[in-house]
Amino acid sequence: MSHLHLRQVSKRFGAVQAVIDATLQVQAGEFVSLLGPSGSGKTTTLMMIAGFEEPTAGSIELAGRQVEHVPPNQRDIGMVFQNYALFPHLSIAANIAFPLKVRGRPRAETEAAVRGALALVGLEEMATRLPRQLSGGQQQRVALARALGYQPTLLLLDEPLSALDKNLREQMQIELRRIHRQVGITTLYVTHDQAEAMTLSDRIVVFNRGRIEQVGAPLEVYARPATRFAAGFIGDSTILDGTASTAPTELRLPDGTTLHTAQPLHTNATGAASLLIRPEDFHLGEPPAGANALPVQVLSVLNLGPHLLLIGQHAGREIRIRTPVSPAALASEGSTITAWWLPAKSWPIPPA
Amino acid sequence: MKPGIPTWLLLLPAVAYLVLVFGAPLGNTFWMSITEPSLGLQNFETILTDPLYARVYLRTVLVAASVTLLCLGFGYPLAHYMARRGGLAAALLLGICGLCFWISYLVRTYAWTVILGNRGPVTAVARWLGIEPPPVLLFTTTASLIAMTHILLPYMVLTLYVVLARIDPNLIRAAHSLGASRWQSFTAVVLPLSLPAVVSGCLLVFIFCVGFYVTPTLLGSPRDMMISSLIANEIEALLDFGSASALAMMLLAAILVLLTIYDRLVGIDRIMR
Amino acid sequence: MARGPEAPSLANAVLAWCVAGFILAPLIIIVPMSFSAASSFEFPPLRYWLGHYRTYFSSADWLQPTLNSFLVGIASSALTLLVATPAAFAVNRREFAGRRALQILLLTPMLVPSIIMAISYYSVFGSLGLNQTYTGIILAHSCVSIPVVLIAMSASLRNLDRNLERAAAICGATPTQSFRLVTLPLLRPAFILAGFFAFIHSFDEATISLFISGREVSTLPKRMFASIHLEADPVVAVVSALMIFIAVFAMAIATLLRQRRQPARA
Ligand SMILES: Nc1ncnc2c1ncn2[C@@H]1O[C@H](COP(=O)(O)OP(=O)(O)O)[C@@H](O)[C@H]1O
Ligand SMILES: [Mg+2]
Repeated sequence: MSHLHLRQVSKRFGAVQAVIDATLQVQAGEFVSLLGPSGSGKTTTLMMIAGFEEPTAGSIELAGRQVEHVPPNQRDIGMVFQNYALFPHLSIAANIAFPLKVRGRPRAETEAAVRGALALVGLEEMATRLPRQLSGGQQQRVALARALGYQPTLLLLDEPLSALDKNLREQMQIELRRIHRQVGITTLYVTHDQAEAMTLSDRIVVFNRGRIEQVGAPLEVYARPATRFAAGFIGDSTILDGTASTAPTELRLPDGTTLHTAQPLHTNATGAASLLIRPEDFHLGEPPAGANALPVQVLSVLNLGPHLLLIGQHAGREIRIRTPVSPAALASEGSTITAWWLPAKSWPIPPA
Repeated sequence: MKPGIPTWLLLLPAVAYLVLVFGAPLGNTFWMSITEPSLGLQNFETILTDPLYARVYLRTVLVAASVTLLCLGFGYPLAHYMARRGGLAAALLLGICGLCFWISYLVRTYAWTVILGNRGPVTAVARWLGIEPPPVLLFTTTASLIAMTHILLPYMVLTLYVVLARIDPNLIRAAHSLGASRWQSFTAVVLPLSLPAVVSGCLLVFIFCVGFYVTPTLLGSPRDMMISSLIANEIEALLDFGSASALAMMLLAAILVLLTIYDRLVGIDRIMR
Repeated sequence: MARGPEAPSLANAVLAWCVAGFILAPLIIIVPMSFSAASSFEFPPLRYWLGHYRTYFSSADWLQPTLNSFLVGIASSALTLLVATPAAFAVNRREFAGRRALQILLLTPMLVPSIIMAISYYSVFGSLGLNQTYTGIILAHSCVSIPVVLIAMSASLRNLDRNLERAAAICGATPTQSFRLVTLPLLRPAFILAGFFAFIHSFDEATISLFISGREVSTLPKRMFASIHLEADPVVAVVSALMIFIAVFAMAIATLLRQRRQPARA
């Protein structure tokens, strides 16, 4: 039985369908990211789990209990807000003690829990300070300590790192992973940053326009996106549109080129189909037997340090190629090169 | 989240209070305007036909309009300077304007009786300049005009400042980089963006000014009464509750019309920023 | 200082400081006036002494109205806070039909000229026996300061981060606990400030008091009005100077409160 179970949960604000038929199961101890662009319904989903919004339809089960009508303060959930929401009039220790205090826990237990939570985030010496006397990263960790100190059954984080600068963000990602491994709490993490979701999560839930488009392990979502949206949102991609030919694994491009793939195509009623190729799966030079190859007119070459990104086009389609730094590749801007890939490295996705 | 206390219960005390202590007395005044001394519209008839009343109305509007224009003319440069200058100078000037809200308008009115009085600094300067006899200012419409401008100026300045300060200085820099002169960038960028505040400030000052009582009474000429003084006079000197109530209702109607315009143009609820 | 195109011109600066001088000068001349030895309004004074202060502090004719004004101010601001605070919560934090209309209604007492309210109270309170009573003045002043409190509280209520109350709830606090432990402490400066404004509003109110306070419970502004109007009593300068000192002091406190109220932002 899963720890958290959303069954066809929907939320409507007036005319806006913020979340549509979201179904999701999260196992105990899992770290799951809700990933999607701004406005795709991630926060609303989190708010319904926390109890700040009531679903218009569907049910939410947490630790074996139907909770959709349970007020937030009785759900036993920990939450880290995007702006941290630390109580500005309370010291760090008092912030962390707050959940235990309102639960009427004994003082000794509260103090021990506060010490433990502060140690967990490495802020023992900040206990008596006020939130505004701490840096952004430190406040972030206090918010985490407050959400964990009373050992809730579920941890929710809504874009907790988006207010931090890049270095601090990476540092906090490492910290979050360490803490999650140490505490083992079931965690739901909202982000619009696909790299962050890839780094942190056991599984990723891809949101788009209020719908869950795909649920899967990071590498699975990357390599085998279920939808065109997921393909485009996660990682760099080249998408080639064409029509299915007689064989189910053959795609014919508008210019007549035939491409082979290892998986059957998703073909719609008009016979259209599409293929996804990740930039690192392209190779330059003489294609081996059985490989797909295309002439690509290179429009620009971006030096990304360890490798190059060639942006080119074939018959009007944008092609993005990642390749090691080489003199030939560096000099290819403006010329036409041959790019090839193995059929198994292309992934069929639904046509537009 | 489900609210704990129902909204209507939160609103009840204030609404009930307003109905009883604000609405009821006003209603009673309206009632008196059509029943004192006998049922009918004769009070309104007198007011609308007697040229004496028309003169008072006209004077009130003229004075209020003059005060509004003076406030705008003085207030805009100050607000503009505060907004564009920023820093300590702006904070200081803001403090000066803010201070006025804490100081009774009676105190400020009193200050003007001293300044404009026949033993005050204005007279002294006039004498020193050889102007004999020095101009009589106290108990003239000019005096109440000056004092009302002084009292209402901070409202204008703050209304303008809030909007002017929010104009992104990069817009002005952009206008300059596109070749506009200082004056052009002001007229083409700053002025249009601050126009809503100008409208808002002017209406606010005008509305306050039309109903002003204390200052015109203390500083103005008893012969050139404004509407508020006239209302008070009907009651204090003539004990004519009917006319006073009718005059008050006419003033209220005028204010309501102005407030409606204000609401259309600016939105009254915006006062509660 | 950099003088970019966005900086104000010199002419603007000169004009602005002149206007500021116009605003400030009348307030400044009051102070030396209050120490003047002359027996009437005269500036600049020829000699200085503390005589008028002595007169003020020893004359029941002035002290009683002062006391009255304090009593009325305190009582009416307390009453206003009691009545207007729940409404301020509702108007700023709840969604309901007719919210805007209600907001406008709650603001109107500030926008209706005092003279209209003055004669309205005069005749209604007359028949209720409330003229020349503390109750009458307190009721009237509270009514007019409802919008004042509403405006003063609205900014704080709206700036109060909703997530703080959410955080309290998710931490397990009941709505009552959340209100007592989070909302109330955070709004305390706003309450004090709003009360302060209501008090000042009542303390400064002259028109309504002129009509309904009579001799018995004459307020300070009414006493000042009479003084300026009829007798040119120099003690007015003392009262004015004291009021200016208090205003400066009050504003300093309010500024401090407002600074403390600024929530810590990340
Ligand atoms: N309280 C609300 N009232 C009305 N619309 C809302 C509300 N909250 C969210 N929405 C709308 O629901 C959609 C999803 O929003 P949200 O869940 O915040 O997305 P995300 O967190 O993925 O950026 C958006 O279109 C947003 O405008
Ligand atoms: Mg969001």
